[in-house]
Amino acid sequence: MKRTFVICAAALLLIGTAVFAFGDIARPKPTPAPGKVVFHTGLQIVPDSKVYEARLQISQETLQRIREATANTSANTSMTQRIMQSATRTVMAGMFMFLAISFAGVWLARSTQRRGQKAIAGALLVAGMLGAATVIVRANAGPPGYYYWQKLPENLTKGQGTRGGLDIEIVSGDDGIKLIVPMKTNKAPGEE
Amino acid sequence: MERAANISLAAWPRTRSSDRARLSTRLAVRLFAVILVVSAGVSAALASWLPLQVSILTVFLFAGPHNWFELRYFLMRLPARFGRSRNFFAVAFAGIFLLTAAYLAMPALYYANLWSGSNWPDAMATWNTLLLLWLGALVMMRSSQSSRRDWFWTLPIVFMLCAVNWLQPQLFSLAIVYIHPLVALWFLDRHLRRTRPEWLRTYHRCLMLLPLLIAGILWQLSRTSSLADDNGLFWRITQHAGADLLPNVSSHMLVSLHLFLEMLHYAVWIIALPLIGTTGALWNVRTIPLARRRGGFPKLIAAVLVFGLFVVGLLWFGFSVNYAAMRDIYFAVAIAHVLAEAPFLLRMI
Repeated sequence: MKRTFVICAAALLLIGTAVFAFGDIARPKPTPAPGKVVFHTGLQIVPDSKVYEARLQISQETLQRIREATANTSANTSMTQRIMQSATRTVMAGMFMFLAISFAGVWLARSTQRRGQKAIAGALLVAGMLGAATVIVRANAGPPGYYYWQKLPENLTKGQGTRGGLDIEIVSGDDGIKLIVPMKTNKAPGEE
Repeated sequence: MERAANISLAAWPRTRSSDRARLSTRLAVRLFAVILVVSAGVSAALASWLPLQVSILTVFLFAGPHNWFELRYFLMRLPARFGRSRNFFAVAFAGIFLLTAAYLAMPALYYANLWSGSNWPDAMATWNTLLLLWLGALVMMRSSQSSRRDWFWTLPIVFMLCAVNWLQPQLFSLAIVYIHPLVALWFLDRHLRRTRPEWLRTYHRCLMLLPLLIAGILWQLSRTSSLADDNGLFWRITQHAGADLLPNVSSHMLVSLHLFLEMLHYAVWIIALPLIGTTGALWNVRTIPLARRRGGFPKLIAAVLVFGLFVVGLLWFGFSVNYAAMRDIYFAVAIAHVLAEAPFLLRMI
């Protein structure tokens, strides 16, 4: 019995020290804070054989909007982030949603008119189908951003401009301005 | 034969007079439609063209008088004896008083440095919840007054609105600012249904123009640059329309849309409802049931109306002296008339 106890204690001690053994491993590099998208606008890339330096032209109006957007970055946090800032509000919203669903159930149950129940069931079914259809077809959302940028190399070769959507993102550091253009390659995974 | 001749002779003038009446009704309906369409179109054009200037002028001229007309209307709609509606009116008046007091207390406590305003969204959400629960209680009480009405279905909606309010209290308050002007159109609908049913179809057709005008304003102004709110007054107007809460939306569009709805609201209360005779003869106190009934209060009602006129004059004076401050005070106090519309509209349904 005593021997078993000692062996178990030694095993536990060994496992416990294994945790500290990781102390020798270099600390992982802190992941940089993700950038925050503050504004969505459009961008047009135009090749020009006459200029010698790349030029970024921003209209006065767009600049004003960017200024406003960066000044109100707190208002641009996502809805989830805003809700999560206040536990009280989340709890209250949840409680009232619970009450709403409960009372809707009571109303459905006490509704004696069969025709009314059928109409409600039909309406719920239609709403569900519409919701599902919306999820499937992504409502009337336009094509993804990379669709517009796919023709950029071809257009540049032809000397034509390309226009597409652009998110203005504020990132940490001092690397100037970087333009990331979405490009989907048709190569198979692992193929270079 | 003689009898037949008599009948036709007697019916002839009656037929002619009924034709004349039908013709005059048709003309009146057409005139009504033209007035509605032209008023809405001109309001939309002015609101889109010069939103800040027209907003200042509109509030200055019509804010006070429209409140006086509403007061006159509410007195007119107040029953001579409450009877079975006693509890309904007790809850209605208590709600109007307490909710108004709470609404005014929030900025008052803030400016008196008694409250930091740090949990302003929570305070707004609480007030909005109380408002919704009060409305729910009124709906249930009204529903219980008649066995034909089963409005239990409104309760889940009220609770769902409470939940949405707690998720976005400030946007919910902004929604009230935009929805309130439309309530006047509902009042007009209910009165036309009672007093001019032959006008109702035309009115509904004209109402279909409203979403088109709103869509036109949104489409036309959504890409315009925001208004220059570089002075205190312009800043207040853009804030009232929600420019702070919707920073990526053109404040020009927001102010124009809000102003357009406000202009419709004022037009209904000051022109449309008195024209169809819902307020009775303006200066005749005897058209008000509380003054007309035996043992009524004609002097008190007259005093209330005269005092109302005095307040309108005071409001004009205040606007002339310090428009910006008076505008703030007016829109804070005006919550009382927003609340008062609810029970009287419910009585009409």
